[in-house]
Amino acid sequence: MSDPARDDERDLVERAKRDPRQFGALYDRHFQQIYRFVYSRVREQTAAEDVTSEIFMKALKAMPRYQDTGRPFAAWLYQIAVNAIADRYRTLRPSSPLEDFHDLSIAGPPLEEEAAHRDEIRRIWVLVEALPAQQKTALVLKFQEDMKIEDIALAMGKTAGAVKLLIHRGVSRLRDEAGTLRPAE
Amino acid sequence: MSMRHDPELDDILQDGELKHVAELLRAGRMSEDPPLDDAFRSALRRQLMNRAWGMGGTTTVPWWRKAFGPAGLAWAGAAVGVVLIAAAVVFTALTSPSTGGLTKDVLVSSPMNDQSAVRLQQPILVNFNQPMDHPSTEGAVQITPATTVAFSWSANTLSVQPTSGNLAPNTQYQVTIGPGAKTASGEKLAAPKTITFVTSPPAPSPSPTPTPIPSPTPRTQFADQHQILSVTAGASNFQWSPDSSFLFFVSAGGGLVSVPAAGGTVTTLVQDGVTSAAISPAGDAIAYIRSGKIEILNLVAGTTVEISPTPAPTRVGWTKDGVVWTAADGVYAQGTDGPIKLTALPTTGAINVISFSPDGAHLAYTQDQSLYMFDIASGKGVTLGIAGAQLLGWSPDGTGVMYSTATGVVVSDVGGKTAATLPAGEPTWSSQDEILLGSDTDIWEVRPDGTGLTKLAEGTYHLPAWAPNGVAFIFIRGGMVFGASAPAPAQRPSALDTAAAVVNSFMQARKSSDGVKASAYLNDHGRKAYSSSGGGLNLVLTGDPSFSRYYLLTQSITGSQPDTAQFVVRIVLSHDKLDVSTYEETLTLVRTQGSQQFLIDHATAGPLLTLGKGAEVVSVEVSPGTVKITFDSDLKPESVAAGVIILDSKGKQVGGNPVYANRTVTITGLDLKPHATYKLVVLSTVQDVGGTNIAAEYDLTFAGPADAHGGSNQRGEQSPSPSPRASPSARPSSSPPTS
Repeated sequence: MSDPARDDERDLVERAKRDPRQFGALYDRHFQQIYRFVYSRVREQTAAEDVTSEIFMKALKAMPRYQDTGRPFAAWLYQIAVNAIADRYRTLRPSSPLEDFHDLSIAGPPLEEEAAHRDEIRRIWVLVEALPAQQKTALVLKFQEDMKIEDIALAMGKTAGAVKLLIHRGVSRLRDEAGTLRPAE
Repeated sequence: MSMRHDPELDDILQDGELKHVAELLRAGRMSEDPPLDDAFRSALRRQLMNRAWGMGGTTTVPWWRKAFGPAGLAWAGAAVGVVLIAAAVVFTALTSPSTGGLTKDVLVSSPMNDQSAVRLQQPILVNFNQPMDHPSTEGAVQITPATTVAFSWSANTLSVQPTSGNLAPNTQYQVTIGPGAKTASGEKLAAPKTITFVTSPPAPSPSPTPTPIPSPTPRTQFADQHQILSVTAGASNFQWSPDSSFLFFVSAGGGLVSVPAAGGTVTTLVQDGVTSAAISPAGDAIAYIRSGKIEILNLVAGTTVEISPTPAPTRVGWTKDGVVWTAADGVYAQGTDGPIKLTALPTTGAINVISFSPDGAHLAYTQDQSLYMFDIASGKGVTLGIAGAQLLGWSPDGTGVMYSTATGVVVSDVGGKTAATLPAGEPTWSSQDEILLGSDTDIWEVRPDGTGLTKLAEGTYHLPAWAPNGVAFIFIRGGMVFGASAPAPAQRPSALDTAAAVVNSFMQARKSSDGVKASAYLNDHGRKAYSSSGGGLNLVLTGDPSFSRYYLLTQSITGSQPDTAQFVVRIVLSHDKLDVSTYEETLTLVRTQGSQQFLIDHATAGPLLTLGKGAEVVSVEVSPGTVKITFDSDLKPESVAAGVIILDSKGKQVGGNPVYANRTVTITGLDLKPHATYKLVVLSTVQDVGGTNIAAEYDLTFAGPADAHGGSNQRGEQSPSPSPRASPSARPSSSPPTS
């Protein structure tokens, strides 16, 4: 079945492949998403700008070679993003705390319980940062970016099976390290 | 807390604790937008577009910081800045706070209200039906788009004068007198009153003065007029050799005769009996009909080949592939094994074939007083004119035809579509697209579209016939054949003006929802662009918001032979009289010789943009050294310097710093090359005086203008305002409306 949004994207991609000057439309469509992802990884505005800039420059340059594999165009951008972030942190380590940015206001439970839950969430994301890079990337793309396994596989240059394994190992490790996490109610 | 179920994780995380961790991860998704500097976003876009343009060069990462520095806060501040006099303001109607007693309702009117082509050089006039308190009334005036104004009063009329001088072109103004306005006696307006009007296009800038062409004084003979030979009445079928050096004709006695165009020895090629003759496109052979047979005389070898078709031939002609002829039942060509019937002719009633078109693709015949144009390939004919019409000639390329009516000479294409009606006369159509009209008393020159009618000389000029070179012609006077050269034709209206007239007619028809009429300005390609199975553009726009107006943003000649022009047309959609959105169509027009008409050959549409969110570009004017970009709003001058840029095809910025005055940004110091491609970029950092940034970056691709000093290789290309070829770039937006 044809998906109009997907057809629309395919059309934009085809046009940008033929004429790089059409890349602006793809940039407009994906900038926010990619910048947000990058920011969530580097958590510093200047660094996020540097990396985002690098990602789109690389994407523009590689546009003529882009192959539509049936996956969303964004998955390809995430692939470039994952590599760009990895490149950057071969030499740099993130230093900012991330508490502020994984801070959800969750309506419902009593104040004390809610505070405890928020604390749990903060802790789990702090632990994510300590995971091996590949597990961390897989978890971020799955839980933060809400991507499909197939798309994560494309972005990370891995098979879907390998991605599932990374997610399983990452989540298991978080469980082990969190130790005192409460079971789901 | 219930979390969204993700079936993909079911087989990965089966353990309850793992599922709980997953829920926590999902619950911790970053919920707030990260800090983002809009200046970075638009600067990166510009950098990408520059790179895309040249697809070269390298960039070190923090380039935008160099360019934009600590700009982020400045934009943020401006966005929430105080809007002074300009903003789209929605009022809620107030009930009159009448404190008792009889108050006379305040009536507000303007002679400009609802007008659609308000000239630019005038103040906005607002009439009140009673004396007003000046300070409160002036304070209550709101204008969209953002405009700095000065006020003056004359009795009960308020003049609102833009301080930049004129009103902006192609712009819908909304002038609202808010409820803060008080009468002289202190009564407030019961409800706000809005005056709405649309301004006219900008006046064309002074064009390079065309070299005046002296109007030819009618004379009695041409400078090089010379006698070629004397002929007896009844000579016919005058034809030129393709190199314009010889004439051939059929004498009154049926002889086939040739004579040098300069005059000289007359050679009789065939003694008698010739009834139809035609010279081959290469000029090396003449085919004629004699004694029921076709003879082909090779002019080089002097040999003759005979074809004896059955039924007998009636008219002979040529295509590029060889000789063709008509017989009582059809049209034939000579194949390797003898005649081949190309198509049948109508069998109902007697038909009289008059001639083949020069390209052999059509033929004209009469039947029952009516003149028909017959397409040999399709075997179909159309009627030309009304009964009694007579064929008068063809265009040299065979796509146009001339025939007589009671009132004059009709020029049409071979499909029967009339291009023009010329004064009565004996016409001949040249390879340079000029028509001579001879008669007993004078000779005129006119273009096939009916323009440029000029009397060349007085006297008798019968049966003029252009030489293929488009300069020499012959005519008959008093039993003599004369030769002469026609003077250079008068300057024709520029191709751009002609094309612009077609675009205007096309857009008017669409605005009137007359799809049939609009289609008449499209050729087959153009029709495809406006078909749902082709380009998908909407010829007729329906629904709400509706098509309220259009204007030509840019226009340019982009090619010759055939003439090609490109236009960017802004289509403005409105709801309840107010402009709400706009999109641009880029139209490419091509001119064909037969119809002499520009037709739309290609069309594309840009994205739909919402109006009322910051300044809009309403006019772009390009000359080799200067580009002027006019906005509908007054701008903050300091936002212009880094916000309006021209890039060459390599993405390199060209021209000096933009100078801003009176709503117009002027970039000088340019050396734009004809037909080279440039790009105008207006960044979203440009702000109107109210502090509103333009809604989205605006890009316009255009070609360098034709050289005004003669670099143009095309007759009549001078444009009153040389303007760019343009194609709007993709911008974030929804699609144009569908009907």
